[in-house]
Amino acid sequence: MGAVTDDEVIRKRLLIDGDGAGDDRRINLLMKSFIKWCNSGSQEEGYSQYQRMLSTLSQCEFSMGKTLLVYDMNLREMENYEKIYKEIECSIAGAHEKIAECKKQILQAKRIRKNRQEYDALAKVIQHHPDRHETLKELESLGKELEHLSHIKESVEDKLELRRKQFHVLLSTIHKLQQTLENDEKLSEVEETQESTMETEPKP
Amino acid sequence: MERAVPHAVPLGQVASCSLSPQMEVFQALQRLHMTIFSQSVSPCGKFLAAGNNYGQIAIFSLSAALSSEAKEESKNPVVTFQAHDGPVYSMVSTDRHLLSAGDGEVKAWLWAEILKKGCKELWRRQPPYRTSLEVPEINALLLVPKENSLILAGGDCQLHTMDLETGAFTRALRGHTDYIHCLALRERSPEVLSGGEDGAVRLWDLRTAKEVQTIEVYKHEECSRPHNGRWIGCLATDSDWMVCGGGPALTLWHLRSSTPTTIFPMRAPQKHVTFYQDLILSAGQGRCVNQWQLSGELKAQVPGSSPGLLSLSLNQQPAAPECKVLTAAGNSCRVDVFTNLGYRAFSLSF
Repeated sequence: MGAVTDDEVIRKRLLIDGDGAGDDRRINLLMKSFIKWCNSGSQEEGYSQYQRMLSTLSQCEFSMGKTLLVYDMNLREMENYEKIYKEIECSIAGAHEKIAECKKQILQAKRIRKNRQEYDALAKVIQHHPDRHETLKELESLGKELEHLSHIKESVEDKLELRRKQFHVLLSTIHKLQQTLENDEKLSEVEETQESTMETEPKP
Repeated sequence: MERAVPHAVPLGQVASCSLSPQMEVFQALQRLHMTIFSQSVSPCGKFLAAGNNYGQIAIFSLSAALSSEAKEESKNPVVTFQAHDGPVYSMVSTDRHLLSAGDGEVKAWLWAEILKKGCKELWRRQPPYRTSLEVPEINALLLVPKENSLILAGGDCQLHTMDLETGAFTRALRGHTDYIHCLALRERSPEVLSGGEDGAVRLWDLRTAKEVQTIEVYKHEECSRPHNGRWIGCLATDSDWMVCGGGPALTLWHLRSSTPTTIFPMRAPQKHVTFYQDLILSAGQGRCVNQWQLSGELKAQVPGSSPGLLSLSLNQQPAAPECKVLTAAGNSCRVDVFTNLGYRAFSLSF
């Protein structure tokens, strides 16, 4: 009792029922009328006072009941608010998770975009170069032409060799014939000179 | 006006009330002439390192700048220190170290210690150069996680491989005839692509240490732009595809057939290009970060705050998904932060 200071009590009472009207006054009046009734003499007055006291009492009870109901309502409101608070906390946590998830997705999407752009950049460069099939076809046809031409070259070379050999044979036979003719001439010259010396010798 | 002295005052660490007006003017001039060449994200994903032309590295806290209670001070670096004597052209991060290179040396810094003042480098190495007289700059660094090595390339036209455990230089790949601008790693077959001032993109096989393929970009009529030169300023690869740009137009190449497939209609030479999801992001001369579809269409052009951009960095570290941003830096002291590729959210400043 001594721990609660007068200030606290005054403050509490002022807070609850500052202006003096209402319950506090009613309880004071009840006390006063009870004391008066105890001290009163006559029966009738006592009875009316008694009735008045009962009504005041029931009024007090009524206001007390009201206050209790309000108290209950406040408690239930508090519970309700607690529940809503918890729900909001859960949804905040859920939103945080979603944000983290979305951030991951953004990173993934950025990676994909980067890959796509790299692909596009390379594709642009590749487009500048001619198509591989066409180049292969051209290469094939060029190869065939090359083969064909080399065949022709070979056959022409063979013919050339043959003609060269034939001419060689011809020229060597001509040479031999020339040599045989020269030899024959020389032999016939030698024979003539021999004959002429033989003729001049037996004359004297 | 006097030229800036080589060891510049660390910005953002001196309280403004203790500065003389001369120092303030000096700092303002420094900021005006600053160029940020390189960026790198920490392995935890919460910090960004930026290297500038004065040799300073600034560490920004991305998590602080992106949080809902960010104030103006969160856009300033957490710490700035003098890392090199010359400009810091390139930086990469391993899972524990920050490697920075610029003036011929590569230095390593521990990410765990880097936020403390007076941080010292863990080690510094210099690749074996042929001439000891001039020390060529290192333009590009590349990590090869499979063999735990680092590839450096720059002014001496060679690619040096350094083993990260032992610190020994294992290979020197020769073939370029002019200095090398950029490197890229092709993951499936462990090949390295390098692009240089000589206009050629060369593919090197790391196992045989030989040049496997050469693509001379300027010789292809569709993409060459002789009035810009033949230099290859930026390279990015996606295993089968490669994007390169610079003097010639920004082009998408199919590597296996060495053919240019898409040419992106961008007049300004591009200095940095990267693949991201289904887009290609590029930046260069000009304020904007350009987003291209692979088909050659420009999807978006988002302006930044610097008149020209030199590097882009995407923070895709799995440990910090709330710091997943694109940062762009270039010819100014500001690093633009794009939380959503559609617009510039804010800028961090040296």
